[in-house]
Amino acid sequence: MAMRSGWSFCDGEGRLDAPRIDRRTFIGSAVGAAIGVWWASPKSALAQAALSRPAENRNVLVSIFLRGGADALNIIVPYGEDEYYRLRPSLALAAPKGSDPTRVLDLDGFFGLNPALEPLAGDYREGRLALVHAVGSHDDTHSHFEAMATMELGLRTNTDRVTGGWLARHLNQRSTGNSPLRSVAFSATMPDSLRGAHGAVAVNRLADYRLGGGEEELEAMRSLYSKGDDEIAAAGRDTLEVLALLNRMDPSGYRPDKGVEYPDSPLGRALCETAFLVKQDVGLEVCCLDSTGWDSHVAQGTASGWLYELARDLAESIAAFRTDLGSEINRVTIVVQSEFGRRAGENSGLGTDHGSGGAMMLLGGGVRGGEVYGDWPGLAPDQLTGPGDLRVTTDYRTILAELLECRHGSKPADNLFPGLGGNRLGLFN
Amino acid sequence: MRLTRRESLALGAATAAGSLLSGCNPAANRAEDILRQPAIPPRASDDLAVATLNRFGFGPNNQDLAAIRKAGVDTWFEDQLAPGSEEPGLLEFRLARLDIQHLSPWELRDWPMENIIRQLQQATVLRAVYSPWQVRERIVDFWSNHFNIYCRKGLAAYRKPWDDRHVIRRHALGAFPDMVMASAKSTAMLVYLDQQNSHARRPNENYARELLELHTLGVDAGYTQRDVMEVARCFTGWSEERGFLKRRGEFLFRPELHDQGDKIVLGERISSGGVSEGEQVVRLITHRPETAKHIASKLVEYYLGKPRPKLEASLTETYLESGGDIPSLMRLIFADFKNDPGTVVKRPLDFVVSALRATESATDGGSQVLDAMDRMGQPLNLWPMPDGYSMETAAWSSSLLARWNFALQMSRDRIRGTTIDLDKLIKQTDVVSAVFREEPEGSWLDHVRQQIDGQPPALALALALSSPEFQWR
Repeated sequence: MAMRSGWSFCDGEGRLDAPRIDRRTFIGSAVGAAIGVWWASPKSALAQAALSRPAENRNVLVSIFLRGGADALNIIVPYGEDEYYRLRPSLALAAPKGSDPTRVLDLDGFFGLNPALEPLAGDYREGRLALVHAVGSHDDTHSHFEAMATMELGLRTNTDRVTGGWLARHLNQRSTGNSPLRSVAFSATMPDSLRGAHGAVAVNRLADYRLGGGEEELEAMRSLYSKGDDEIAAAGRDTLEVLALLNRMDPSGYRPDKGVEYPDSPLGRALCETAFLVKQDVGLEVCCLDSTGWDSHVAQGTASGWLYELARDLAESIAAFRTDLGSEINRVTIVVQSEFGRRAGENSGLGTDHGSGGAMMLLGGGVRGGEVYGDWPGLAPDQLTGPGDLRVTTDYRTILAELLECRHGSKPADNLFPGLGGNRLGLFN
Repeated sequence: MRLTRRESLALGAATAAGSLLSGCNPAANRAEDILRQPAIPPRASDDLAVATLNRFGFGPNNQDLAAIRKAGVDTWFEDQLAPGSEEPGLLEFRLARLDIQHLSPWELRDWPMENIIRQLQQATVLRAVYSPWQVRERIVDFWSNHFNIYCRKGLAAYRKPWDDRHVIRRHALGAFPDMVMASAKSTAMLVYLDQQNSHARRPNENYARELLELHTLGVDAGYTQRDVMEVARCFTGWSEERGFLKRRGEFLFRPELHDQGDKIVLGERISSGGVSEGEQVVRLITHRPETAKHIASKLVEYYLGKPRPKLEASLTETYLESGGDIPSLMRLIFADFKNDPGTVVKRPLDFVVSALRATESATDGGSQVLDAMDRMGQPLNLWPMPDGYSMETAAWSSSLLARWNFALQMSRDRIRGTTIDLDKLIKQTDVVSAVFREEPEGSWLDHVRQQIDGQPPALALALALSSPEFQWR
């Protein structure tokens, strides 16, 4: 497992493989006709901002947060380490042998993938998927809420002070566009990572984002919300802008590329709608999605069961998204993270308690994949930390910083992550 | 115990609520305060009776507004702190038709889980709309979130009706330490936080951690991971009855699972004593100043919005002197409210119920109302994490569209199980005055009035309910 430190490989603008789609082709597409009308409408300044951006700003960051603390040790399994089997007599996944589907899929002779992630195994082999192990924050409360807030605000520990979520700070410092759909969270409420981002939108499903009634109601609502300085009035105006844009796009009519089937799960549906927004090219820069239920204190299972089902949903959703996007995946980078990993040893309920070191996954444009990155701290008793946790050897922020630097033109990204040094893993081409 | 596949999937996938996991946390609060534009929420009503019903109840309706005017605000509030057990006939009748009202966890076993969850939600909406004991229903909402239980976890839904009656409602206006003790023995909570299988060899820390972090001391109280593990040891064996022909689903201490050794919690020695150890822990932590402070600051946030250090200090003191007497805390909060009401955003439950009450609608609190709350981001009893629904404005400002759609449907009388008599509502006065219970010359509503002027009655009503002004309580 390699650890490249101290320097960065990318050109800082993410120019490498963002294809330019010319506007004529775009307008010619099915939905394009509707957008064309909108383009010519009096609001065209907005349209201009959304559609005439330089190529490097067309990159999209898709953040998937595994809520509850995903058990990294059973997702990217250190099967080469005997301690793993000692710590998890009931929960350990077996080392690879042949093509036995109940065993891990070998990655590099030491780590193996939970077989649930089989849909992404090809991405790893072909260098599109990068994995990082023993990564996390230095929050030591073992509290979901503190650990999530720490990560979503881009902090080292929960005692640091910053303004806004890490994605909000990135977006606000880089005024690359003012599309009403510049940043979207697929969730009924705004995640902390986008807290404070101007005009960030939280939606459950784009297809349901409609006002009952017709133009009369819409006009009356615009007028009603034309005044007012409070947060609700401001949020109402944002809502109306998004409505206007979505009304012209018909998200409910979206069909994925032929042959692609997204899982019928919240994550699958949200990634499907993300693909729609990417393809529409309406100025989307950041998308936040959640996968929930990873807090596996009891009966988490091994090569089947609770954790397996969650990981399967994650892998199938991402695989469908990657296929659906076709070559457009080259301007999209998916980053998967969780607030912490879980305790190295299993507990009495055949589950695992809150831990420290976890894992991250990166897939898509610019990613230098096919490798498990990070320093492996080991699982021997003297190598564990706190109540028996995998030690954090890589600050999760080095990965996010490199992502913003290499793909999204934030430079230097240290402004975004207080106290973060210059070390990078070299995750991007 | 093994989770069935269905249960584990329900835990993972599921619900709109599944995807709303931005917890409420101080760090995010800070960020929000600084980054958003300076926010000036509309002020509370100058009419103290109206403002009180908005803040300490679920908004005015004719009946309760008449009652508070008749008794005087202070007397009304004091009476509300010792609510009676009687409810109006209509409410009794509607509640009586819900199975969860009279069946035990064991008797409910054959009901589909989703029916039970729906009935729980329905009961909450019905009580909030119709009960004259508005202060109780309001604080029940607070405690239901403080002791949040996600009802799709394991068999929690089957246990929650008991929890609702014997933990939340019984102690909502009682003494806080009693409520914590009851909650610790609630099998809904034990199932939800994985306590019921924890045993001496490997204690499960989930309940112990949330007991300290969320229910009592608060995350900044200075306890350690070691304390969490010691508390988890104390609670080993706190489980539920599963024996054949026994009252299954009820609390049971199982000595054979209990860690017999001595423990040290927050520097105090807990001597080996079976079930009494957990009880001792509850008494210890519920009488600590950190717990008093934690509860004080949460109540202030819930009732008054922004932190008020002076008030929180006196609440902390009163908590410690009175042994966590909740009415004593409420009196102080109410007095401070009369001085300076502050502003608090309506969560979806608040919005929906206050709209139903303001319009004197008749409702069964049924599926169309509940579905709407789901779309607004607050399906009751289905917040997956133990911290309960957020109290921050920013958590709710992005789901306004669902509120507007509810208002449009409601004002056109298109919600099944809910009826509105629009003609009667606006016979005496204009729409804005009817909805806000404000005299027509109230200037903070001038903008809404102008916007509504000349609109057909149904649209006018929808706009009044959709206005920024109606989203605050």
